[in-house]
Amino acid sequence: MNKLFHYMEKYFMPVAGRLAAQKHLCALRDGIALAMPMIIIGSVFLILANLPFPHYSDWLAHTFGKDFSTKLAYPVDATFNMMGLIACFGIAYRLAESYEIDGVTAGVISICAFLLATPFSIPFIPVGAKEAIQVTGGIPVALMGSKGLFVAMIIALGSTEIYRFIVKKNIVIRMPDGVPPAVSKSFVALIPGFIVIFIVWLLRLWIENTHFGNLHNIVGDILGKPLGVLGTILWGSIIAEGLISLLWVCGLHGANIVSGVMGPIWLGAMGDNAAAYAAHKPLPHIITQQFFDNFVHLGGSGATFGLVILFLFFAKSGQLKQLGKLAIGPGIFEINEPVTFGAPIVMNALLVIPFILAPLMNVVATYIGMDLGLVARPNGVAVPWTTPPIISGFLATGSISGAIMQAFNIVMDFFIYLPFFMMYDKMLKKQEVQVEEPSKNVVSM
Amino acid sequence: MNILLCCSAGMSTSLLVSRMKKSALEQNLPYHIWAVPIDSVNKEMSKADCLLLGPQVRYMFPEFKKLCDKRGIPLGVIDTAYYGTFNGKEVLRFAEDLIRKSDRISD
Repeated sequence: MNKLFHYMEKYFMPVAGRLAAQKHLCALRDGIALAMPMIIIGSVFLILANLPFPHYSDWLAHTFGKDFSTKLAYPVDATFNMMGLIACFGIAYRLAESYEIDGVTAGVISICAFLLATPFSIPFIPVGAKEAIQVTGGIPVALMGSKGLFVAMIIALGSTEIYRFIVKKNIVIRMPDGVPPAVSKSFVALIPGFIVIFIVWLLRLWIENTHFGNLHNIVGDILGKPLGVLGTILWGSIIAEGLISLLWVCGLHGANIVSGVMGPIWLGAMGDNAAAYAAHKPLPHIITQQFFDNFVHLGGSGATFGLVILFLFFAKSGQLKQLGKLAIGPGIFEINEPVTFGAPIVMNALLVIPFILAPLMNVVATYIGMDLGLVARPNGVAVPWTTPPIISGFLATGSISGAIMQAFNIVMDFFIYLPFFMMYDKMLKKQEVQVEEPSKNVVSM
Repeated sequence: MNILLCCSAGMSTSLLVSRMKKSALEQNLPYHIWAVPIDSVNKEMSKADCLLLGPQVRYMFPEFKKLCDKRGIPLGVIDTAYYGTFNGKEVLRFAEDLIRKSDRISD
């Protein structure tokens, strides 16, 4: 086992390090993170418009007037459903920042390029007609949200790379000394900005001549669909979750490393579900960001909430009892570094087994529960990962079944950890006795 | 003395920070100690005399080493046992040692 840990430390860590420090992946993760507060704010309105009480919509209409639930959704469109647009700026900004070039300029260029890749036409079905007609002159809101996320990501990375290339080659309009810095700065962006816009314009003209029609369709078909399928099927999730636990076993922040790659897919799925939820349509995905944050990582990565309960109420060794008291507070808010480093789980041959097994079982159990329709699917409401279980399950699904699913998972994790905990606790207790009463120990030997 | 800690979201380190502050207060040391997520390290570093990494983000060591060397401040990874038990006193001592050592080299 020690050999294995040594091997992982030697070969796994540099790869994880490179992956986590990779500039484009970092920019994607941190750029999308910029949209998160707005997504959460939008979620509040999404919840308010759809509270799961009988006759709620009737009550709303009666109290605040007809169509009030539609009005409650106005802020959702301006926040949640602008996810792609905000991420487009954020990703470009973060990437430029990591290259130490002007982030705001890169962000603005990226937004314009993103809009240029998006046809300003909206499908509209006139009253009495069967087929939609295209109405021009409006920015399609649907493509500014999770549906446009992949295009936003590609444009943000691409346009910022072009921007950087040109700035580094020094092909910029330079102003003579004495011109105020703000003025010269605005001119610095001119040539790279023009080249980005020109390239995206040519791209759009070319794509308009193919049967795809626009970049959103190409990216959706070639990239979005396969990646989306991989990220939102059971096997893809089991692999991703296994990797998260395995990285934590090495003492590395698995969720942080894996989310650099999977985050956009899971957030996109979350956005799809939110759109369907707001339109009162069936929810397309089971696996979204909330599936992992709120149903799998109960008590933190490794689903350690059950283990903390064992520490707190059943530990006989002083060390684990003490640890239970320390870990329960953070654990309620899904933070478990006291457990992973304090128990420790990292490099601990015994506790590593349930640490990998428990979250995997959570994935499988939750997936089955939701697939069979016993448990409501995550409705796209962005519940922050630090929200305590039971509450978060209710909020993430808008149904009491979500809270019950979490309780079920916690109990299951409790029993998965139980035998390993008992062995480990006994071992520590024995060590403690030996330290306390060395003389007695000598006699007994 | 300004001690900057960092982990993935700056959450578990912030718990350690509160323990370190308590320990510094008990010893009457006027230190400024704070925690940030990885993506804010770049901005916050100018105010720090040393940077401590949570063990779970130690894979960022090579990346941050470059930044720290540029600014001439020491970088350390917090011991996992001290991290897991939130031993503020020991981590504080670790930071002091780091700063002392780097001062000696630069002298």
